[in-house]
Formats: sequence, C-alpha cells, structure tokens
Amino acid sequence: MKHAPPKWADRFLAWYCRHDLLEEIQGDVYELYDRTAKQNKRKADFTFVWNVLRFFRWKNIHKKKSSYNNSLISSGMVKNIFKVAIRNFLSQPGHSFLSVFGLTVSFVAAFLIMLWVMHETSFDRYHDDSQRIFKVMSHVESNGSFETYDAASFGIDVSGIPEITKQAPVITGDRWPNVLCFRGDPKNDCIYITGIYSKPALFEMLNFTILRGEKNPIDREFTVAISEDMANRLFNSIDVIGKTLKIDLWYEATITAVFKDVPTNSSLQFDFVMPVGVFQKLRGFSDESLANSFFSALIKTGSDVNAEVLTAKLNTAPALTESLKRDKVSYQAFPFTDWRLKSKFENGKSVGGKIQYVTLFIIIAILVLAMAVINFVNLSTARATNRAKEIGIRKTTGALRSGIVFQFLSESLVIVFFAFVLAVIATQLLLPYFNSMIGETLSVQLFSGVIPVYLLAFLILVALAAGLYPALVMSSFQPARALKGELSTRASGVKYLRKVLLVVQLSVSIGIVIFSGVIFNQLDFIIHKDLGYDRENMVRLEPTYKLLKQYDAFKTELLKNHAIASVTATNGNPLSLQGHTTGVSWQGKSEDTRVTFQTLGGNYDLVETFGFKLLDGRVFDPKKDTLGNEVMITKEAARVMSMTNPIGEKITIGSSQCVIIGVLDDFHTESLRNEKLPVVIYRQSVLQCSAIYVKYQSESTQQAMEIVRATYKKMEPDFTLNYWFQDETFDNMYKTETTASYMVVIFTIISLVIAVIGVVGLATYNVIRKQKEIGIKRVFGATVTNILSMLTKEFVIIILVASVVAIPFVWYSADRWLSGFAYRINMPWMIYITTFAGTLLLIALIVGLQGFKAANSNPVKTLRSE
Amino acid sequence: MKGTYLGELEELVLLTVGILYPEAYGVGVMDEIEKQTGRSLNISAVHAVLTRLEEKGFLKSKMSEPTDERGGRRKRIFLLTAAGKRALEEANEMRTQLFNQIPRIALQFRLA
Repeated sequence: MKHAPPKWADRFLAWYCRHDLLEEIQGDVYELYDRTAKQNKRKADFTFVWNVLRFFRWKNIHKKKSSYNNSLISSGMVKNIFKVAIRNFLSQPGHSFLSVFGLTVSFVAAFLIMLWVMHETSFDRYHDDSQRIFKVMSHVESNGSFETYDAASFGIDVSGIPEITKQAPVITGDRWPNVLCFRGDPKNDCIYITGIYSKPALFEMLNFTILRGEKNPIDREFTVAISEDMANRLFNSIDVIGKTLKIDLWYEATITAVFKDVPTNSSLQFDFVMPVGVFQKLRGFSDESLANSFFSALIKTGSDVNAEVLTAKLNTAPALTESLKRDKVSYQAFPFTDWRLKSKFENGKSVGGKIQYVTLFIIIAILVLAMAVINFVNLSTARATNRAKEIGIRKTTGALRSGIVFQFLSESLVIVFFAFVLAVIATQLLLPYFNSMIGETLSVQLFSGVIPVYLLAFLILVALAAGLYPALVMSSFQPARALKGELSTRASGVKYLRKVLLVVQLSVSIGIVIFSGVIFNQLDFIIHKDLGYDRENMVRLEPTYKLLKQYDAFKTELLKNHAIASVTATNGNPLSLQGHTTGVSWQGKSEDTRVTFQTLGGNYDLVETFGFKLLDGRVFDPKKDTLGNEVMITKEAARVMSMTNPIGEKITIGSSQCVIIGVLDDFHTESLRNEKLPVVIYRQSVLQCSAIYVKYQSESTQQAMEIVRATYKKMEPDFTLNYWFQDETFDNMYKTETTASYMVVIFTIISLVIAVIGVVGLATYNVIRKQKEIGIKRVFGATVTNILSMLTKEFVIIILVASVVAIPFVWYSADRWLSGFAYRINMPWMIYITTFAGTLLLIALIVGLQGFKAANSNPVKTLRSE
Repeated sequence: MKGTYLGELEELVLLTVGILYPEAYGVGVMDEIEKQTGRSLNISAVHAVLTRLEEKGFLKSKMSEPTDERGGRRKRIFLLTAAGKRALEEANEMRTQLFNQIPRIALQFRLA
C-alpha cells in the first residue's frame, strides 16, 4: 500500500469494532481509501475518518465481556442488587443507622475542615499574579539572634532592582491614626473606622475592585478611597464621589473612589485608604523622619522571580543603605501569599505559623474519615454471617465471584452516597454555627469549579475503601458451607482483622482525646498565667489631643468617684509592647554587645494602675521627679546590664541620659510563645501618650464605664469614646489558639462518637453471636457478672493494645506542639490516665448495657430456637 | 411474520445484491447503486442494510478468498436466499398490481 490512512482512526476502528465484523468493515474502508487516495490523499484521509466515525454504531461496537459474563451485570441483576440492598438496609434499621450515621458525621467533619482549609489557603491569592507579590521583612540582629519585623524602611530605594515594577508602603495599625472617627452628617455621632495609608501603586498591585470613582484614587493629597460598607454606614449610599470627610478636626479629604469591600480572605483588612501624606501630617512627621521610619511594605515584580534571588538583591545598595547595614538590618522578600499561614519567625527564619493548625486539621480530617471507614468495614463484616446464606444461594444459582464483589461494592457505594447527601445537607445547616464559633465567614462552595470532580473521586475512594474488603471476604464464602452455616473457620481471619481495625480506631480516638486535652491545658495555663500585672477591671481609652491637654482635669474628675481606682497614661500596651530599642547603653557595656530592650513610656500612677510589683527603689512621683529623666527597669534588665544595685545608676537611652529610680519584677510583654524581654519604663509627657488606662473597682464595670463616658463627653464633645477592655485585648491575642482549641474539642467529640458507634456495633454483634453460649452458661449456673466479664474481656484487651499504640505517638507530637511556647506546661500525664480510664469505663458501660439484656434474658428462650 | 416488510432502501440493496450475483459485497453494492440510480450512500449505511437483511433472512453471506486488494482482507459475499427472492418477487408483483390500478386518465394527466 502506497498510502496509509490516518493511524489513529484505524486504531479507533479496531478498538471499538466487533471482532466478527472488523475484517469486512476494515476491508471496505480500506478499499474506498485506496481508490480515493490515488487522486487525492487529503480527501481520502478525510473520507476514511468520516467512514470510521459513521461505522461507530451500537451494532458494530464490540462488548467487552463474552456473552456469558455479560449477563452477570445485566439490568435485571442491578435491579435485584438494589432491591436486596434496600431490604437489607431496612431489615436492620439500628445497624444501618450506625453505618450511615458514622459516615455522615465523619463526612461533615471532613467537609467543615475542607471548607476551613480552603478558606485559609485562599488568602491573598485573588490578586493578579499573586505569586509575584512580596512583603519586605526586616531582620535585626541583636545579641546573636534575629528579631523579625514585618516592615521596611519607608524610603527603601528599589530603583536598582529592575525586576521590581511596583512598590508601596502599607501603614496599618489598630489605633489612631489608622482608626479614625468619621461622620457622614455633622449632626451624627462619629463612627470609628479602620483604614490604611499607602501610595497609589497599591491599587495597581492588588485587586481591589473600584465601584465608583477614579481607578487611581489616592494619587494626590487629601483624597480618600472608602469601602462600600463605609460609604453605606456614613451616607447610606455608595454614590458619594466628591463628598468630603473630616479627618480629625483639622483636615478634610475628598472621596475619590468607592471600592468593593475587602474580601474576607485578604490579610489586609481596611475600610479606607489615604495617601501617606495625610498620615505624615497627622503624625507630624518631617520628611526625613518619615523616610527613616519602618512600615509594612509590598513589592511586585514584573516576571516570576525567586524569593531568594529577590532577597539577595534587596540586601545590596541602594535598597539596603549603609546606615541600615550598620544597624545590622537585613531585608527579606517574603511571598505575600504565604503571609497568612507562615508569618511566624524565629531567629530570622520562617517557622510556620497558622499552617501548623491547617496541617493538624487536615490530619484530623483524614483520621476521622479513616475511622468512619474502619467502622463501616467492621459493621459490614460483622454482618457477614447474616448475608452468608444469601451469598450461598446466589452462588449456587450461578453467580460468579466478580458478580458478588460488584454487588457489595455497589451496596457500599449506595450507602456512602446516601451518607454523602446527608452530610452535604448537615454541613449546610451547621455552617452558621461553625462560622460563629471560629469567627469566619465560610460558605459552602462544594459545587463550584473543579470541586465536584474531587468530591466524586472522594466518594468512589471512600466507597472502595469501605466496600472492598467486605466484598472480597463475603464473595469468598463457599456456597456449600455457607448454606450449612459453617462460617467460623473461614471467618476467624475476619474476626482477627476486625479486632485490628478496632485497635487502630480506638488508638486514633484516644490519641485525639489526649492531644486535645494537652492543648486545652496549655491554653488554660496561658490564659490564667500571671503576666506580672493585672488585666482585669481595666479599660484602655483612645485619647484625642484635646483630651490629653486636659488630662489632669480628666484624671481628677474620674478619681472623684469611688468606682474608679486609678488612672494613668502610656504610649504602649504592656500586653504587646511595640517599642524596641537596641540603643541602651550603660557603664561597662562592651562595644559589641547588642541587647534589645522593650520600652514603655508612661505617666504617674503607672505602676499602681497596672499592678506591677516594685522590688526596689520608688515609682514616678510628681514631688520628687524634677528632671523628667527618671526610668524604672525590670529585674531582667538589671541582670542584662549586670547591675547588682541599680538604683541611682545612670544609663543612656538613645541620646538622653537617664537615672534608674526603681526596679520592677519581670512581666510578659508579648505573646507567651516568646521569652520575657528586659524592659525600661521611662517617664513620658502626657501629650505624647497614646492611651489612657482606667482601673476600676471590680464588680463595678457598668458604673465605671458610665462615669468614664460622661466625663469624656464633657471634655471632648466632638468625638465618640473609643475603648477596649484589657482582658478582651488579651483574649484576642490568642484568637488563633482559642479557635483551634474549639475546633479540636468538636472534632474530639466527633471522633469519640464514631469510636462509640464502632464499639456499639461490634458489641451488639458479639452479644447476638454469643446468645446461645450465654444461654448455656446461664443454665449451668453462671451469674450475670460472669457473663458480663466474659463479654467485656475482649474489649479491655483491645483498649490496652490501643493505648499502648497511641500513647507514644501522642506524647511525641504533644511535646513538639508544647515546645512552640516559651512558657509551657509540663506534660500533663494525668490526662493520659484519665483518658485511658474514661475510655475503659465508657466501653465497659456500652458492652455492659448490651450484655446485660442478654445475660438477664431467659435462657430457655434463646436456646429453644431451631 | 414481523420484519418481513421491505423498506425502500432495503429493496434497492436486495435488488443490487441480485444483480451483482455472485460477487455482491459492501463497496460493490454501494458502487452499483450509485451507478444505477445516482444515489450515493455511505458505506456504513450499506453495511447496516446488508446486516439487517441478513437478520431478516433475505440474504445469506460467506467470506470470500483473501485477495491482494484491501490489504489482504476478505470480503463478505452476500447471496439472495429463497426468502429474499420471494420478497423481491412479492414486492415487484405488488407494485405492478398497484400500478395497473391507476386510472389511465391520471397517468395521462401526469404525462401531459
């Protein structure tokens, strides 16, 4: 043959065509092909393909199986299988309920976790080319270790790095001037709204949809872009372009754009954006001091660039200036999309962060699913004896093994699908509660994009995992024996496997229970840990400049009331001190020592208000403090500076000379994940303070707040009082941990439920199987206790083995988790014992209840059957 | 008997098989129909009709000796069965009978 038809079409023909027809059909199309190919090869090719396609008819398609095998999976067969499946399902409602319920519960758990994980991993990925956006991190070396900050110098010069096409600082914060009081109508009370300051490039770099107004809204002074929500709250409309907003009392900004509310899966959350210039004016920064300040910074590259390459370039001039180099600062380009999950740094290296919880919950989801599948396998094989006769009959009437396997697999697929549908509904119903518990706004997006494909794969996988083993076991029954009811010899292997599976399942449950117990103890420890100062009955007020000017009068006014215990003003919150300095020097400090101190500036009554413990010396005193250079230090600071008698010693902070007047006991200034740092408390004039703290008598919160509110209104009528309770602020610091612990509790309960289902199922089955044995034993005089102990013995051994398997695993992983905290509990071994004892008791109870009925029933009744 | 009804295309194919005796096979039938009537059929359609006729018992088939053509593949040669012959005769007879019943006037009108 000179010409050959398209190979693929030929192969396709050979693949689908019935073998007895292939020769003539192929012959004919070849003949036609040859005929045309002599004139026109392309036309011949085309006709060939066309003919092959036209031959693709039902009649010509060959059926895979031989005709005998074919009849096995006929529609009649399928009908019968379904009928039997439904009858079986209904004939043992309790059993079926357990199977479906176990699967449903685990599916719900898996779905909720999946939704949460999808939400967490979707953070900041909705921006165009999100892999090209980086945050600039600064590592500062001090004392041989690195402190990491989510910031870069405002004046960072990236012009020497051609890859970087866009760059913008993002000034965030949780107080003035990021939180400002706005009013849409001068008559209304003002509303506090949080926003950011940045440069126009921000809107080019990140996708924030502009609904109204300019595409590049903050390109000139005193402009503001606001969110849809903010527009609605202030003006009840989003058509507000051109309106002006008052910024504090002195400035006004024109609204140039309204953008769509920032999505919940954005790590940057804000309701307004203003140019940095406004920030500069509000804070009164000079150009120079602004350029030297550090703010969170974003950069975007024009092409895909490796983070390491970019980091290297950021650490060369002009990006990293000589003076920064001298201060031992180095930059790092950190992928913006990793920020949400991997923002924890230790000694200059990213050490994960929330990703640990994501992984933890993925593992929990897999374990919970595995447990449910194991349950299903256990419950199905336990029922094998009931189904043995059916299988025997099927086989004698000519069923092949493959047919039986198919039957059981499709049965499990039906049950899995049923559970799946229930789970989807349940997830939908439970989601609002789940959301309010974890403080997120997840929505069910199970049926968008490629997810249905995964779900289908997941369904089939679960159905296979759950159905394959029972199918293989049951299909292996020999009909003659099965019909006679002799299964014990064959089933012993099954029984053994069932026990192994139960061991696996119980060890997972025990493991999860213990681990969550440890997590709970640690969180409890943190929340109740003595921080070195009080956080109860204290409220932090946001002062305005006007209020600070009247601070003394405000304080006197407040203290006239018995409900108010004391008042002070500071420039930082001891719960999370922002001020860090390496610029402290003292006598005898060697040249290359670099120690990071935390600083807190405050006014009189600071020690009394916060409840710090004074160890030596005195506190700030208006009568004695004449120079305004007095400082107090903590014990740790004294140790670092190796001073045995620090009172009266002189130290230099930056360029100012200070004298130590008091030593305080150490206190925590950050999350308990980190060590206590040395602290210097200096006296700061009230006008430079950022917060007023009011301590009130316990049990008088409401009264105290009324007084505070009224006094504030009198002194600062233009603004609404903005305040935070200290203990709530503290709780918020551990939000991730608290959320995680709630979730852990829920999934602990779920895993327990599934384990209980497994045990109940097996115990019921055991009792039924041993009914005659129990009857005979009773006849021969066994007591109820004898019988119960016989029934429980098996389970006790299983629990023992499960504990032995689980405990080392949990010990290791719990210890690793705890080691992430600088202040941690010792391994709470009591939890191990109580969990073990609790499980034992629970299972004894379940088995006991099941057995009690059997043990108490009249033996004559059980023995009389047959 | 159900299925003995002969469709128009079936009749055509059946006739062609008769014409080509004893060398009627797929492509041959297709070509002959095109030559005689000008109707061009797809080969798969011809096959479908041939198999249907065989199922109805109007045709029988056997495989030919392999030839050099068609890459050495054999042809399926179709032959008329007695039933096939009778079906053709019946169809022909019925047609003539019906034709003869048409009033002359109608035919004249048509021809005019």
